[in-house]
Amino acid sequence: MLKKQKAKTSGKQRTSTSGLGKTILRIWSYLADHKSLMILVLLMVVASSALGLLGPFLIGWGIDEYFAAASTDGFIWLLVGLAAVYGLHSISLWLQSYWMIGIAQQTVYTMRKQLFTHFHKLPIDFFNKRQHGELMSRVTNDIENVSATLNSSVIQIFSSLLTLVGTLVVMIWLSPLLTLVTMIIVPLMFLGMKWITSRTGRLYKEQQRRLGEMNGYIEETISGQKIIKSFSQEPKVIEEFRVKNEQLKQSGYWAQTFTGFIPKLMNMLNNLSFTLVAAVGGYFALNGYVSIGTIVIFTEYSRQFTRPLNDLSNQFNTLLSAVAGADRVFDIIDTDEEAIDEKDAAALPDIKGKVEFKGVSFSYEKGGDTVSNLSFIAEPGQSVALVGPTGAGKSTIINLISRFYEPDSGIILIDDTDSRSITRRSLRMQMAFVLQDSFLFQGSIRDNIRYGRLDATDEEVEQAARAANAHSFITRMPAGYDTELSQDDAGISQGQKQLLSIARAILADPSILILDEATSSIDTITELKIQEALQKLLKGRTSFIIAHRLNTIKSADQIIVIDSGQIIEKGSHEELLEQKGFYHSLYTSQLEKKQLMNT
Amino acid sequence: MTIFSFVKPYRIPIVAALCLMLVELAVELVQPLLMAKIIDDGIVAGDLDTVIKWGGVMLGLSFLAFASGITNSFIAAHAGQSFGYDLREKLFAKVQAFSFANFSSFPSSSLITRITNDVTQLQNTLFMSLRIAMRAPLLVIGGIVMAMLVNFKLAIAFFIIIPPLLLFLIWIMTKAAGLFKTVQKRLDKVNGVMRENLVGMRLIKAFARGNHEGTRFETANDNLRDKTVYALRVTEVTIPVLLLFMNLTIIAVLWFGKIEVQTGTASVGEVVAIVNYAARITNAFSMFSWIIMVLSRAKASAERVTDVLNEEIDLQDTAESRKENRITDGKIEFENVSFTFPNMSIPILQDLSFSIRAGETVAVLGATGAGKTSMFQLIPRLYDVTDGVVRIDGQDIKAMKLKRLREGIGYVPQEAMLFTGSIKENLAWGKEDATYEEMVEAAASAQIHETIMKLPNQYDTLLGQKGVNLSGGQKQRLSIARALIKNPKILLLDDSTSALDLNTEAKLLEALSKYKCTTVIITQKISTAKEADKILLLDDGTLIDSGDHDSLLKTSTLYQAIYQSQFGEVKAGC
Repeated sequence: MLKKQKAKTSGKQRTSTSGLGKTILRIWSYLADHKSLMILVLLMVVASSALGLLGPFLIGWGIDEYFAAASTDGFIWLLVGLAAVYGLHSISLWLQSYWMIGIAQQTVYTMRKQLFTHFHKLPIDFFNKRQHGELMSRVTNDIENVSATLNSSVIQIFSSLLTLVGTLVVMIWLSPLLTLVTMIIVPLMFLGMKWITSRTGRLYKEQQRRLGEMNGYIEETISGQKIIKSFSQEPKVIEEFRVKNEQLKQSGYWAQTFTGFIPKLMNMLNNLSFTLVAAVGGYFALNGYVSIGTIVIFTEYSRQFTRPLNDLSNQFNTLLSAVAGADRVFDIIDTDEEAIDEKDAAALPDIKGKVEFKGVSFSYEKGGDTVSNLSFIAEPGQSVALVGPTGAGKSTIINLISRFYEPDSGIILIDDTDSRSITRRSLRMQMAFVLQDSFLFQGSIRDNIRYGRLDATDEEVEQAARAANAHSFITRMPAGYDTELSQDDAGISQGQKQLLSIARAILADPSILILDEATSSIDTITELKIQEALQKLLKGRTSFIIAHRLNTIKSADQIIVIDSGQIIEKGSHEELLEQKGFYHSLYTSQLEKKQLMNT
Repeated sequence: MTIFSFVKPYRIPIVAALCLMLVELAVELVQPLLMAKIIDDGIVAGDLDTVIKWGGVMLGLSFLAFASGITNSFIAAHAGQSFGYDLREKLFAKVQAFSFANFSSFPSSSLITRITNDVTQLQNTLFMSLRIAMRAPLLVIGGIVMAMLVNFKLAIAFFIIIPPLLLFLIWIMTKAAGLFKTVQKRLDKVNGVMRENLVGMRLIKAFARGNHEGTRFETANDNLRDKTVYALRVTEVTIPVLLLFMNLTIIAVLWFGKIEVQTGTASVGEVVAIVNYAARITNAFSMFSWIIMVLSRAKASAERVTDVLNEEIDLQDTAESRKENRITDGKIEFENVSFTFPNMSIPILQDLSFSIRAGETVAVLGATGAGKTSMFQLIPRLYDVTDGVVRIDGQDIKAMKLKRLREGIGYVPQEAMLFTGSIKENLAWGKEDATYEEMVEAAASAQIHETIMKLPNQYDTLLGQKGVNLSGGQKQRLSIARALIKNPKILLLDDSTSALDLNTEAKLLEALSKYKCTTVIITQKISTAKEADKILLLDDGTLIDSGDHDSLLKTSTLYQAIYQSQFGEVKAGC
């Protein structure tokens, strides 16, 4: 029994909001993929910290030895030693950042790649509900946040933690009592940090979300320029942008302000701690519990102790925005994939092309069915025309055959095999589509046609273009087949785009061909010319054709008439005319028009 | 226009923030003195009162620093965010004013990145400069001054080493700025591939080309990573180099110090003090590489942002456009119009002349690529003619303000472009204050009202981006309704009924006839053309014939051919 999966419910977002720590751990798991390099970075941090301490120590010792006392023996060696220490120090610093940048950028690279790959696994419905620009923002604005943080903060955090632990050990060794006094600020610190981060975490997330929304809005207004301009809606669009801009500014303002508090708070707590140590220490010294020398050294160390804390708190700003960014990336990566192929789904290498619907019902939204209880058989090599008023469900059937969506009930059989036991990829590899809005990529015309079959030779590309009647207009373009198509399709008409889409499908040489209003923008003379090529193309493959011009579908082996999501008539052109039903009236109304024209 | 003109309005908060930062810095510099006092006079002397007294002073001062720090936070965030806000708004408004020729010089994905990512970069730079970046140079200068006061001769070492180091920093910064510009360009590319994939996802899935696209993305991603790694590694070289040279300076101070001490011109204490200051300067210098990175990124982003701001808009109101000019009747004339797309060599329209009387219905027919859509786009000045004149009501359309001109035209493009939002909101694009009745009327004329009423939320139904949740025919009808609600003087329908079945189309055309406007329809269908008062036949960018159905059927071979392609043989006697 196959488990039923619905693509449309799988698009929902991850509901559990993961905490700060969880996200940081998850980012860490990416870094941990580069274990050996990471260990090297750590070693270099240890080395540079040690060498950084060794230098001043040597200087102190040298001053005692060679300045306070007037000895000169070996002074030059001290300086040489110092130079060596500093040289190594610089080298270790350089190496740690050199490696860390590599790891950080590789991590970010992996995140981008995962995001991209995951986009391709998501159901088509996911993209219908989201703005493209909003999704793009996750690559640019969110991942870039992570990138900025990983480059600098990781090393900083390492070395701060190292210094912190080292100093703490020395402090405890010097005086556990005074250490305890110093530690009084730690709970205060945590409370303060908690208060601030509970706000900033939310604010940063909000900021990134709004930035994403803004990105989406910008993208949409750029794609829709033609409408905006011809409706002179620039002021309205700018006003709406202003609202989004204002919201972004608000969340950004509070996020930055609050994170700005952190280092200031730390600084103040440090001073508090120092004064406490001095006062308590002084009291102890008076009572002879500790020596004055200990207190003097101890205060020095407690200052040492607070410096890394300060550094750490300065990193918080970037860390929080990185977490907010990473969260939004993980949100996508964690979104359920397009109903995954069933476990036992296998590739079906050679489809003959029999397509059968058995009681298929489906709806995009919960509630009324878009199509209900569809049953029909398309034999291998048959051409099937889908006819019906707009919104009847013709494109939905195409969506189901190509498995952009899975039926709510009923099954679809391909070559008598339940389509769910076939991998989507192997199925689509053997289908070709000419879709309602013909999408072309930026790139040359040649590459766009070759998209149908990536290993096609230039001759094959040209042949396909000739068959689609596109060759003549292509050769008239400035650079012929190498003409680059620009983003706004300037210089190429909608009809020409359709011709290129048809050429692309011809080149694909599929077992199942889907033509969804493939010639709607093409003039009828050109259409007649490519009709022959299309007929040739249809031969030997199962095809599904949606068209409004009935004379283009008259020759179909089977015509399925759909109204309100149901099959109301089925048969060949002649059979349907005899039935004198919906098709008959549709056809005769066109015919009447024709006769009207002829009189 | 430069970035600095955007900083200018915030000079008061910026100065205030810098002053507050100086207060913090001063407190920070005084603190060691106070600590020394607490230790020397208090703890060592065993005087607890002194400890408490000076401890109190120190706490007071640190509270002062805290207060100014917090205030600085508010002010710096205000300045940074407002600066970013202004910049984004200016950029967005500028992009809205772009002509399509302007758009063709910036990829969309790049424009988006510039408005969001680059501005964020700049905004953060300003914020960080106001908070910490200025500290480093101040600490360096302070350190040098103090060292000079202690022992001028030994401090000369700093003068020898610091200028070349500064030159080195400047050199790295210029180099890095260039590198980061490439990084942003690569980011654009990644963004571009991503955008194309999102827009074309359906096709990519349909052709199972996920892997192919993956490779394409990988190339862009590889490039971005490599360039970023390179740029960052170059900037990160600064710390080790700076530290090395500063530390070598310390060694030099020790060497000369030893000589000076031996000759008695310097005391041991002075040497120790100068070494201490050198250490402080070194510490401050280590902040520089970070500052360099931030600044060079900011420089790269600033250039990208100003590129957009300074882009010259080539299609706008001209000197002769007058406010009072508007479309009154809807008469359209083309006189010897030629048109070539910007940055293209081959002309789309050549020497096109015709005129359309007010209130007429005109059909435009022609082969795919004949220039029909291009001709349409010249009327609301989406593009400007390369040659010739387009006149409406007898006056050159350039004599009208763009806004006035476009107000009078209802343009329904071939690809029905709808926006995220409700159906109501999409209709309101045509008329902002449209009442519900007006909407229903326009929708009913466009034959979409009944469909809308069947939707779960009727006119409040939300549409996805580009109206993805509607069928092709529904989108077309909705965009026709959007144009009708304007009550335009001129209605331009660019093959906007291609996805409609014949019955719906006939009803729609009939409903259109009650609108008092000049209607120009691009169509493939003879049945539609037949109803028009006049038919324009376009071929290869030129007008080859015009007239009504009957006369064209007699005289035009092209028209006869189109007729035949749809209805078979022309009946004798027609």
